[in-house]
Amino acid sequence: MSRAAETPPTARHWRNIPQQVRPRAMSAEGRLRLVLTALRWTGGAVALLLAGWGAWQAAAVWRGDAAALRDGAEAPPLRQLVLKTDGVLDQPWLARTLALPAGTTLAQLNLADLRARVLTSGQVHEATISRDFPATLTVRITERSPVARLRVAGARGPLSLVVASDGTVYEGVGYLPALLDSLPWLDGIRLARRGPGFAPIAGMRRVADLLTRARFDAAALYQTWQVVSLARFASDGEIEVRARGGLKVTFGTQEDFFRQLARLDLLLDTARARGAPPIAAVDLSLPRQAGVPVTFASADPVEAPARPAQAALAHFYPN
Amino acid sequence: MNSKHSFIGAVEIGTSKITVLVGEYTGRELAIIGCGECQSRGVIKGTVVDYKAASDCTHSALESAERDAGERIGCVFLAQTGGHLEGFHNHATVNVKAADNMIGRDDIDTVSELAKTKDLPAGRMVVHNIRRPFHVDGRLVPTSPENLVGQKLEVGYWTVHGQEQRLADHIHVIRGFNLEVRELVLSSLASGHMVTTPEERQHGILAIDIGAGTTDFVLYRDGVAHTTGVVPVGGTHLTNDLAIGLRLTEGHAEKLKLRFGRAEVQNRDRAEKVWLDGNFAIGDRQFPRQAIETILSARTWELLEVVKKKLGNAFAPETCAGGVVLTGGGAKLPALAECASKVFGVPAHLGEPPAGVSENLRDPGYHTALGLLYYGLSSQSEQAAARRRGGFLRGVTRLFAHT
Repeated sequence: MSRAAETPPTARHWRNIPQQVRPRAMSAEGRLRLVLTALRWTGGAVALLLAGWGAWQAAAVWRGDAAALRDGAEAPPLRQLVLKTDGVLDQPWLARTLALPAGTTLAQLNLADLRARVLTSGQVHEATISRDFPATLTVRITERSPVARLRVAGARGPLSLVVASDGTVYEGVGYLPALLDSLPWLDGIRLARRGPGFAPIAGMRRVADLLTRARFDAAALYQTWQVVSLARFASDGEIEVRARGGLKVTFGTQEDFFRQLARLDLLLDTARARGAPPIAAVDLSLPRQAGVPVTFASADPVEAPARPAQAALAHFYPN
Repeated sequence: MNSKHSFIGAVEIGTSKITVLVGEYTGRELAIIGCGECQSRGVIKGTVVDYKAASDCTHSALESAERDAGERIGCVFLAQTGGHLEGFHNHATVNVKAADNMIGRDDIDTVSELAKTKDLPAGRMVVHNIRRPFHVDGRLVPTSPENLVGQKLEVGYWTVHGQEQRLADHIHVIRGFNLEVRELVLSSLASGHMVTTPEERQHGILAIDIGAGTTDFVLYRDGVAHTTGVVPVGGTHLTNDLAIGLRLTEGHAEKLKLRFGRAEVQNRDRAEKVWLDGNFAIGDRQFPRQAIETILSARTWELLEVVKKKLGNAFAPETCAGGVVLTGGGAKLPALAECASKVFGVPAHLGEPPAGVSENLRDPGYHTALGLLYYGLSSQSEQAAARRRGGFLRGVTRLFAHT
């Protein structure tokens, strides 16, 4: 007897009728109920997923630093101020600047307000402040570097300030005196007040470019520079540098500073090698094809009113 | 709201009206908290003939019931009637396996499976398998025969089956409202369960539910449903007969039936007339009262005779001590109980739901829907108990028995 014959025949039950119907066979109310049911299931599933994710996150935090979580909740007073900088500012400066009252907790701090206080100093370029629970406030800053200095009249007498490459004028804090002494003075500018400080000096990036070039590519020349005058910077595009020994060099902003510095160096070396009298002034602002007007310190300068210097230089500085 | 509460809808898609009751089941007790009704369309003799119309009015009744209850129905117990439903009895006998002749669970399961297993014609589906009492060596056992001693175990099942498409149509009407049909219950079983007591069922009672399009009946014996049946004749046929006999529209005939109808001829005065409307308006007509009673009594008598004929040998006055109980909207016809009493030769009375059912649901028209909730829940409880019986230990026993 076959297996099929052994198995008793089973009658079909009404429960074998598939209950699902096509949506078009449903009434509007039925379809609405279907959508609502689907939404309810979806919402439930999403809520469940979110709850699971939240629990997982909480577990991860708890596993990672349970003590920090507990301490954070208890909120002890601030114990440590940490300053991370790429410059010279130090922790005492930070403490002075923030001036946090004793017993303050991390939760009580307004980080945006503290950041604004830190950025009040022109020396700070960027600042990020973060709470490190349980009781540490960490301040990360990037500082501006000075490229020149200037002297202004303050309420309590003359005041020395420094100027960054972006033109920001600020009171340099924490710099070594040797560094400050090596910076040339700025002259021929008109400072404008802005708030408690000064507005940035326009075009300072170009001047900083010259000074940086000179500092790294013509260090011997740069060391002698004492004053950088911007009196004709805006009008004629000329930067006048006054160096030790009375030398006055005029740089043009139209041409590459490296070439101008190279020309100056060559000119000074050549003059020295030939035993010429000390040079009093050099004008490098003219186009490259033209000669370089040079004024010697002697009583009878080579330069004639028209183009004598050009003739005198033509033989050792061909274009 | 307690999450253990479930809201069950009892839906009766009848020929004249669709009734929905909402029951709140707490796990221990059932409370009826909402009711919705709608005039039926697209249903003839208990069968859906116009899906759209039947869906619209069923959904309208469901909505109305949900609004009344203030809750959303979770699942539905659906009443099933119609001329396509038929039943047969199947009997099985097994020899008790154990050497000590003690009947075990396996013997009971085997004989039950055998009694239920019978091929149906194509397109037919089982609606109910109603178990009759067990017999052990010819001795009647009203409850479980487990652990009794005997050599031969017998049981019979009354299997009710119906046409697949018609059953599916009913289910799909409910599913169109995005509700699951949890239980399909024969209308006669639902209403019979409501209007009979366990004692009456034990002593034998015949419950007849006269609806608008069909008449459902169930004969109880030994505490369980012994035979069920459906006659595709109901209250609307009485109305039709009146309309034809008195040359009236159906609306007028229905009005006359409700106002002056009787299941027995009481008036012997041929001259007594009754007014159709009684408002003396133009078009109001007079009809002989005796003619109305004669037409209705003839049809009622015939209907009850058909029921008796369908019951056949299953019905005998001596095994039906509880008599006949009448329910359904058609049972409101005056003198119907007297008529039934004469036809069946046993006392007859109108069915009443148990005390505790609110006054507005005591009308015979709600008995099926009420019974659906109670019968459906008890049926579900039995299924749950059966599932519990077939638990882990039983599975392990079977596993070893088959290896």
